[in-house]
Amino acid sequence: MTNAVIKTMEVCRYFGEGETLVKAVEQVSITIEPGEFTAIIGPSGSGKSTLLHLVGGLDNPTSGVVELSGTNIANMSGAQISDFRRDHIGFVFQAYNLIPVLSAEENIEYIMLLQGIAGPARRQRVQEMLELVGLNDLGSRRPNQLSGGQQQRVAVARAMASHPDIILADEPTANLDSKTGIALLDVMKDLNETHNMTFVFSTHDEKIMSRASRLIHMEDGAVVHDERR
Amino acid sequence: MLLLKLAFRNILRQRRRTILTVLSMTGGYVLCCLSFSLTDGSYKNVIRIFTMDHTGHIQIHRDDYLQRPKVFKGIDDTPEQRQQIHSQPGVQSIAPRVFTPALAYAGTRNTPVQIVGVDPALEKTTSRLFDKVTQGQYFDATLNADGYYSAMLGIGVAESLRINIGDELILISQGADGSIANDIYIVTAIVGTRNSWDRNKVYLPLSVAQEFLSFYGKVHQYSLLLEDENAVGRITQSLATALPTLTVNPWMQVEATFYNSMEADKRGNRFTLLIIVFIVFIGVLNTVLMSVLERTREFGVLKAIGSRPATIAGLILIETMMLASMSLLVGVVIAAPIIAWFALRGIALPDPIDMGGIEFGFMTGEFSVGVFAWPMLLIMAFAIVVSIPPGIRAARVSPTRAMGSF
Repeated sequence: MTNAVIKTMEVCRYFGEGETLVKAVEQVSITIEPGEFTAIIGPSGSGKSTLLHLVGGLDNPTSGVVELSGTNIANMSGAQISDFRRDHIGFVFQAYNLIPVLSAEENIEYIMLLQGIAGPARRQRVQEMLELVGLNDLGSRRPNQLSGGQQQRVAVARAMASHPDIILADEPTANLDSKTGIALLDVMKDLNETHNMTFVFSTHDEKIMSRASRLIHMEDGAVVHDERR
Repeated sequence: MLLLKLAFRNILRQRRRTILTVLSMTGGYVLCCLSFSLTDGSYKNVIRIFTMDHTGHIQIHRDDYLQRPKVFKGIDDTPEQRQQIHSQPGVQSIAPRVFTPALAYAGTRNTPVQIVGVDPALEKTTSRLFDKVTQGQYFDATLNADGYYSAMLGIGVAESLRINIGDELILISQGADGSIANDIYIVTAIVGTRNSWDRNKVYLPLSVAQEFLSFYGKVHQYSLLLEDENAVGRITQSLATALPTLTVNPWMQVEATFYNSMEADKRGNRFTLLIIVFIVFIGVLNTVLMSVLERTREFGVLKAIGSRPATIAGLILIETMMLASMSLLVGVVIAAPIIAWFALRGIALPDPIDMGGIEFGFMTGEFSVGVFAWPMLLIMAFAIVVSIPPGIRAARVSPTRAMGSF
């Protein structure tokens, strides 16, 4: 028995066929334990994003098994996988991807609305999340009234709001300047340490890599090095 | 609530486009309301005049008199019978009538006519016969100084026989007992115009007609006028139950050809409206589809963070319904005073329309809940339909494709 948050077994993801076949992910078997702060690193085209898509249930593997919190997510219906993502996975996107017509508070609240949490409880948790990411006073602002770093903090707060088992972040600091990127990573690291939240993120940034407790190095779709610190 | 807020803010993103879409739906709605109002108003007028001109709202006969009229198929016309019918809730008035074909003579001329025996007093309360007298005076059942009873002629009879008020009219027919019926009457009135349905009819007082036909104490028809023309079906049913030995027919069955052609015309109008609304909604569909395409990335995000496909489709439906609701709100504000004006004043027709000898100088509208509600349902139904393709498209968005990468 394992209590792994993520477990992939010989996962492959191919695109195209014949001469145009691209092996984006090839025979990847990894296990992510609760509380890990894992960075997936590698050059562009190494399969980092595709692997995150697969473990986030946004894409289906060509072969192999992806288990999230002990559940095989293959063969789930559209509604089932949506519910699963809603309840078990938090996403932080490179381009923030907040809903532009909703305020920071409402962006965070939306996912809890999907979970069926009552209004007062939702609003209380929104304030808690904003406090965690240090944006208490900016909740009523819309994304276009926030800086990139602030938007990404809101995205982290949104990802945390549903009490997920894991937060997946694809190049979360790529659109931020170095200082803001490190500040965001500090927030994530703090959440990891104080709330035992599991983070898996992809990055190119050496400074960010240095803060990870585990580095998974990918090349040509395969894991070439897996180092716990 | 948050979903409603999201939908509302989404439709306010492109305000100019939203306004244009709302206006186009509003135009469709107002047009529908006007058409419903004028169609219903016109037909209500036609039906009112048609039923008051000769059919009444309900007719009662014996057996199959309506399909196979024979002079001997009479109803016993007793005060109790009339009272039983008149006392039915919703019955406003009752007019007993007898009918028979006859040959009319005057001097050396003759013409085939239909005799209609009516109760002068009751007929006044049930049909427009009194109002249709164009020359002379409405008759009664008393003998004149020379010992003749009165007759009123359709204008066609008067012209064929070249007779006028005060002239003698000879009628010959067959009595209900098989005897030869013949008598002389004095013309006291001419009714209707050349376009009237009764231009070839001769009206006699009921008792006079019964005596002429040896049809004492019997009538061929009771024609009923109701307090509410919309209660025809219900009252027909209750009368049929109360009078099991008689045949009760609503005016729609009595004049099935007229009713069916009117209904066909109505359906034609409705179909034309459907096409207009359909065209309006092709534009709306285009708008909603564009809005979905512009927000593909957002739908990808919403799905990635856990929105079910049905929630995404529901969001599109809510947005479309909000647009439709705004249109209906504006539409009611615009349509209500226009329709009220049509109902109260109407449009003066350049050439009055003659219908059954009665001239329509105005086209009036109907102001009722239905005039506003049916087009609302139509617009809402179309709004639901046009939200389906964009809704499905948005619901099927693949998060990874929509976002490229995270």
